Amino acid sequence: MNAKYLGYTLWFFLLCFSMAACKDDKYTVPVPKNELQNDCIKRTLGPNVAGLKIEFAYAIALPATRGKIVSAQVEASIAGDAATYLENKSYYTNGSGEDVGIPIGDPSVNEGPLTKVAFTKDTNAVTLRYYYVIPKAAQGKQVKFTFSAKSSNGETVSYVMGPYTISNMDMVLDLPVKNGDACYISIADMAVYNATDAATNAGKIDLVYLYRAISGISFNHALVSPAADTAYLPGVVLPAGVNRDTKIRKTWNLRDQHLARLQYGIYIDDVDFQQLDMKGAPDYAINLKSEAGAWIETADGKYRAYIYMNKVDDGKKSATISMKRYTLK
Amino acid sequence: MKRYSTITLLLLLSALGWMGCRKDDPIDEDGLLITSRAECYVSNFELLGSDFQTVRTKNAVIDTVACTVNVTVFFGTDLKNLYPQFTLVTDAKLDPKITGFTDFSDLANPRTYTVISGNRKVRKTYKVIVAVQPR
Repeated sequence: MNAKYLGYTLWFFLLCFSMAACKDDKYTVPVPKNELQNDCIKRTLGPNVAGLKIEFAYAIALPATRGKIVSAQVEASIAGDAATYLENKSYYTNGSGEDVGIPIGDPSVNEGPLTKVAFTKDTNAVTLRYYYVIPKAAQGKQVKFTFSAKSSNGETVSYVMGPYTISNMDMVLDLPVKNGDACYISIADMAVYNATDAATNAGKIDLVYLYRAISGISFNHALVSPAADTAYLPGVVLPAGVNRDTKIRKTWNLRDQHLARLQYGIYIDDVDFQQLDMKGAPDYAINLKSEAGAWIETADGKYRAYIYMNKVDDGKKSATISMKRYTLK
Repeated sequence: MKRYSTITLLLLLSALGWMGCRKDDPIDEDGLLITSRAECYVSNFELLGSDFQTVRTKNAVIDTVACTVNVTVFFGTDLKNLYPQFTLVTDAKLDPKITGFTDFSDLANPRTYTVISGNRKVRKTYKVIVAVQPR
């Protein structure tokens, strides 16, 4: 009898306990602060490379009883390129998933490191995008941003973002290379030359692009150092003075987001070039496929680079390459 | 009832005692289990380039009697930076260990790797003979 009673009591307690555990917390509507407020997030990922944009979303809001927003501005510690701007539109996403912009003021104006938007519509809450185009002058330095906004009753708020380190890398996208024509690649100039121009820039030519369809072997698209064994430069007559011995290491599955602009979230950063060990690397890379790449170190040890094969075309014997370069000396 | 409990307790105690006194399994200098297996051979061989893609033109030919691995690599393969991968019979291990990219460029003097059986009593030295695809 006692055991049965004890059992019932235990079950009852367990039931009570489980009910108590499942109870929802009581929800209370948050009380907004009665003042002008702001917030900011950085939207871009990866290293900050000169020429690219850093995107921020700056949100400002105040209760209707406290007036409206009259202006917003961003001050960068290093002035951005001329293309830097603060959006004058507030976006919402419509039923089709498209962002639709509603103008809230005049287009932004840049005054040195300051980028300003003056509001022309009665606005109480808005999120503005800020696009800072990284200037060459900021390479290797740190940049900080002060976002601020003003309301019609004189209230101001500000939000500091950063500092962010600007990479020392240079980048060039979508250089077309063609077998027997624009096939001489200069890392120093980050450019591609034809034979005539290569002869005048002989000391700067680091690589030769070539395409060969040789039966029995897989040669195809290749990046070869001018000083490499002639077996890797079949039928190539180099312009006078083109003789540098560049180190090349073939790579696969390294689709840098900046260079490839594909879905892969991989970024090559300064540290990758700093820690790159090219000792014993060959001076040629053959059979390069689309989305492959190659690490490069110039003969004078001045530059390290990563060349990405965006596209290869066997029929046209051509390719499109993109490059990130890091200066060592 | 009391007698039954005592017997159970004694049984448990003796089982615990037996487990506690059991001799440890033997392990070698690498902390690997030494087993009773005497088989000693390479069952598969792979060779990767600096891009971690295979450089073999076809499957490697493994001769477990002559203890050789013959592998032909693509024309233009960087022989100084190759990553060998051995598949061995169960419980066997390899000496020297593969720690990274290895230089196979001295074609006249093939690299050798010793396979050691699970019981650590049989050792067979394999030669890895690399040939480059002719042009």
